[in-house]
Amino acid sequence: MNRRVLIGAIAAATALAVVPKRKRADPKKIRPPGALKPGAFEQACIGCFRCAEVCPTNCIRFPSAFSLDQATPYIDTADKACVLCMKCTQVCPTDALVPLKADPDVIAKEVRMGVPVLERSKCLPWNGQGVCRLCYQVCPYPEAAVELVGPQKAPLFHADACVGCGLCEEACPELAQAITIEPFGSEAAQPKPIPGRPGLKRGGGPKG
Amino acid sequence: MTRRALQPLDITLRHGRRYQWIRRAFLGFSVALTFVLPLWHLHALDVEGAGIAADSRWAKVAQALPDTPPPFYGAPTSVWIGVLELVDPLESLAVALFQGLSWNWVWTVLPGVVLVVVLGRFFCGWACPYLPILAAANAARWLLTRLGVPLADAKVPRSASRVVMVGLLVVGAFTGAQLVPLLYPPAIIGREVFRAVFYGSLGAGALVVTGAFLFDTFVSRAGFCRSLCPGGAMFSVLANLSPIRVHNERSKCTDCTVCDVVCNLGQSPMTNGLDSGCERCGKCIASCPTGALSFTLAAPPLVQLVRVRVEGVEQKATGGAERT
Repeated sequence: MNRRVLIGAIAAATALAVVPKRKRADPKKIRPPGALKPGAFEQACIGCFRCAEVCPTNCIRFPSAFSLDQATPYIDTADKACVLCMKCTQVCPTDALVPLKADPDVIAKEVRMGVPVLERSKCLPWNGQGVCRLCYQVCPYPEAAVELVGPQKAPLFHADACVGCGLCEEACPELAQAITIEPFGSEAAQPKPIPGRPGLKRGGGPKG
Repeated sequence: MTRRALQPLDITLRHGRRYQWIRRAFLGFSVALTFVLPLWHLHALDVEGAGIAADSRWAKVAQALPDTPPPFYGAPTSVWIGVLELVDPLESLAVALFQGLSWNWVWTVLPGVVLVVVLGRFFCGWACPYLPILAAANAARWLLTRLGVPLADAKVPRSASRVVMVGLLVVGAFTGAQLVPLLYPPAIIGREVFRAVFYGSLGAGALVVTGAFLFDTFVSRAGFCRSLCPGGAMFSVLANLSPIRVHNERSKCTDCTVCDVVCNLGQSPMTNGLDSGCERCGKCIASCPTGALSFTLAAPPLVQLVRVRVEGVEQKATGGAERT
């Protein structure tokens, strides 16, 4: 057999044997703002880390374990949140992050990084443990994405107006850690009611 | 005691020293950018970040940041230099497979492709941040051989790199992911340096580069660059259009084989047997004891391939003759 053919055959066999068993690129990740849809993003990102390089809060990370999406960026909102400066979108060479202007109206329209999920059993005001309002204070879209309800000024999130920057998650006190930004489509993104408190008004459900 | 085989480090570079120094300076600049850019940007972010942290409404402050991007940023495979966008042709091709063509794509891929089409596979010999690691592997080979350790030098066919290249594109298309950045040393090195500087840790990519180093040291000299690197394969394909060529003036040549030995990429300048795999490092020219080798302009390898084919078909006696 021709050596060239042999090597090609070995490479193809290895590829067939190894690759399909590997986990596909994980679509359940919070991507930087302006990212294409899950799936399309992994196809367009070449892992050049320009986005992370220009990120002023250093919130864009890369996975360190070997996986198919090892070279693609994600945001760990619990650690560092996005401040919506949109610089990452402007430096992306392949438009995996679609360029956006750092204009609050444009961002409110175009950016959906994830949905906020509030666990009311952990939230201080919802449990009558005092006035907190930290999430409301840091939110770039107060009133629209989060409003304060009731005498305790408890936060009520509206996922349809939320861009998913995660500033609220980052600001939520260590004691509580009631807010998480969940990627679209994950099961955890369903709001969890508190058992035994059926009467509370729910915020807008997670968008698509 | 048998005479050991001639190795690159045994060979003195005699001629073309200026060319070598220019190449080394360029390589040093490229490697320095790989290491300095993350440090520089980390510093810049510290300065900007201080302003952001002072205000609770971070988002508002971030939008007040200057809009101009820094003059240099990016990885070795995708670098922005002032006004010039240089994106690796193979990674661009992999993106185009999914996204189709767009003007943005054309503008990002064009400068790199034009450079390679004109100058040949020079990124490999002039800019690749893996080159210092390859030099370390060659030095390790030289040292181990001196100490009497037998080392394999497997001649993996160079076409294997094209198999790797096509394989990554095809498998990537099936899995819906960009696979080239996972196995392409300049992309990995840039990312790992960035990770080390920004987060103080290394990822799995470091293992791939270590594997390439061990392969080059113990299995095959410069075997990764020559026979496995997918990006090098892409450059080789494009370099078929490059008109630059190392020419051997046969009347001066003493058939000493030094140039063939010094070449990392398995080219054979002694017999004028160069193809698009030449990385323009100029070491063969520098090592020639009689100065028989020089860069010349010639018909690109593609033209020569076609010419040989045509002449073979026409049964001409001069088929395959070199014209320079």
